[in-house]
Amino acid sequence: MQTDTQRERFTIPIGPQHPALKEPGHFRFSVDGEIVTGATVRLGYAHRGLEKLAEKQNWVQNIYLFERVCGICSHTHATAYCLGVERLAGVIAPPRAQAIRTLVCELERIHSHLLWLGVSAHEAGFDTLFMYSWRDRETVMDLLEALTGNRVNYSVNVLGGVKVDVTEEIAQAIYKGLDFLEERTHHYLQVVSSDASFLQRARGVGVMTRQQAEVMGVVGPTARASGVTRDIRIEAPYAAYADFPPQVIVDERGDLEARFVVRLKELLESYRLVREILARLPEGELTVRMPRRIKSGETVSRVEAPRGELFYFLKSNGTDTPVRVHARTPTICNMTSVVRLAVGHQLADVPLILAGIDPCFSCNDR
Amino acid sequence: MKTTEEILTLAREIAGAWDWTTEVTQPEPNRLDVLLRNPADLVAIVTALRVKRLGYLAAITGLDLGAGELEALYHFCAGEVVITLRVRLNGRETAVASLSELIPSAEPFERELREMYGVNIIGLPSPDYLYLPDDWPAGVYPMRQDFDPQVLSRKT
Repeated sequence: MQTDTQRERFTIPIGPQHPALKEPGHFRFSVDGEIVTGATVRLGYAHRGLEKLAEKQNWVQNIYLFERVCGICSHTHATAYCLGVERLAGVIAPPRAQAIRTLVCELERIHSHLLWLGVSAHEAGFDTLFMYSWRDRETVMDLLEALTGNRVNYSVNVLGGVKVDVTEEIAQAIYKGLDFLEERTHHYLQVVSSDASFLQRARGVGVMTRQQAEVMGVVGPTARASGVTRDIRIEAPYAAYADFPPQVIVDERGDLEARFVVRLKELLESYRLVREILARLPEGELTVRMPRRIKSGETVSRVEAPRGELFYFLKSNGTDTPVRVHARTPTICNMTSVVRLAVGHQLADVPLILAGIDPCFSCNDR
Repeated sequence: MKTTEEILTLAREIAGAWDWTTEVTQPEPNRLDVLLRNPADLVAIVTALRVKRLGYLAAITGLDLGAGELEALYHFCAGEVVITLRVRLNGRETAVASLSELIPSAEPFERELREMYGVNIIGLPSPDYLYLPDDWPAGVYPMRQDFDPQVLSRKT
């Protein structure tokens, strides 16, 4: 991942301590005056060897391990892993469990997008928006805590189902919280597409065309903000997404503003989905029996994390421990675009371009 | 948008072409497994997939099969279909050509494969580590089965 358009004049290292975000990554930008002419990235500062460790732990222990790949999208990791293991075992979780998985996936997307909105607003120098969006995010964090007992690492999934149920009381609290968030999201949507000083930082900056997006292999909202209509929830529905299909939110403009608009519109779509799931939550069991040893074989499990396609490859040899669990996280796909898009921009735009892909270093290092 | 059936048929046609020898299996309804008899065919077969606009490279998985045998799995996704090209690398010396010229997004995946499994990838632009620290001992590959963490605490 390296771009060099002309001979290096001066190199500015950013990171590994907290390059814009509160996670470690190391970037080197070669600059000509204020203009970036080349960039390289080094990762691995948060590498914990989870894939190696997974080979030593049994299938159940690994749920908790992979949930800890990421503190923001922990539930999507556990969902991808559990769906994969269930497929290997030939077990299908009951409909109510699948719907609750989907519900938590969407609540997690809401908290992740609001978190991102705050971080990116901060990088754009718009700290008021940062403070407000994080205050509002507490609403969904409280709902997640009420539903699962935890603010992060909710531990909703077990092999063969889920361990939390949605009571009428919690459902009412979620409806109420979503009404508040929906109103706020409409307001933020208006702010990011009308505030003059914000638009100077976002409109026409970091433009990625659809063709570039496809060549660089970016995924998720970053790709959808460049007009790529790809969403795993629709292309390969998992859990209960076949019964509760979302609308794909696409924007053709490809700049930072489009990335804000796409994620905010996805929030509105998530609110709709959560309400729909609560209204039509199937009745029945929460778990089915899972064997301790998983039949030998290989499978691929793909889910749409808040940042894009999350890809799990699982291989079993018929014992109670996996042979290989490979997690390819969305950030590693999107990181290539940062080093390419930075070229030609002001150095001061780089933090926002980096934040624009919603990077998660903990995810891509594993 | 092609349907799942169309994608599978097209992928089977490409995998079964005269130009290369492959072993095609369908382990799951949405997955096609293509074992390449000759690793040198990889670039040509990926080019054929690209020409037909069949999927995008979603991931490259490394596997240590034991007894000095490594395997690289190139997963291409199209809709719900996952086409996996398997390249088996016998012995520690075997190399495989880089796809990064054809598919720029392959670069981070290939660098991970090189660092973690020691697969020699020919034509990869950057010689640096992506994940491992600069002082990582040469010839030690953490995802191989025979990896011994003790080597890291030994001072050389």
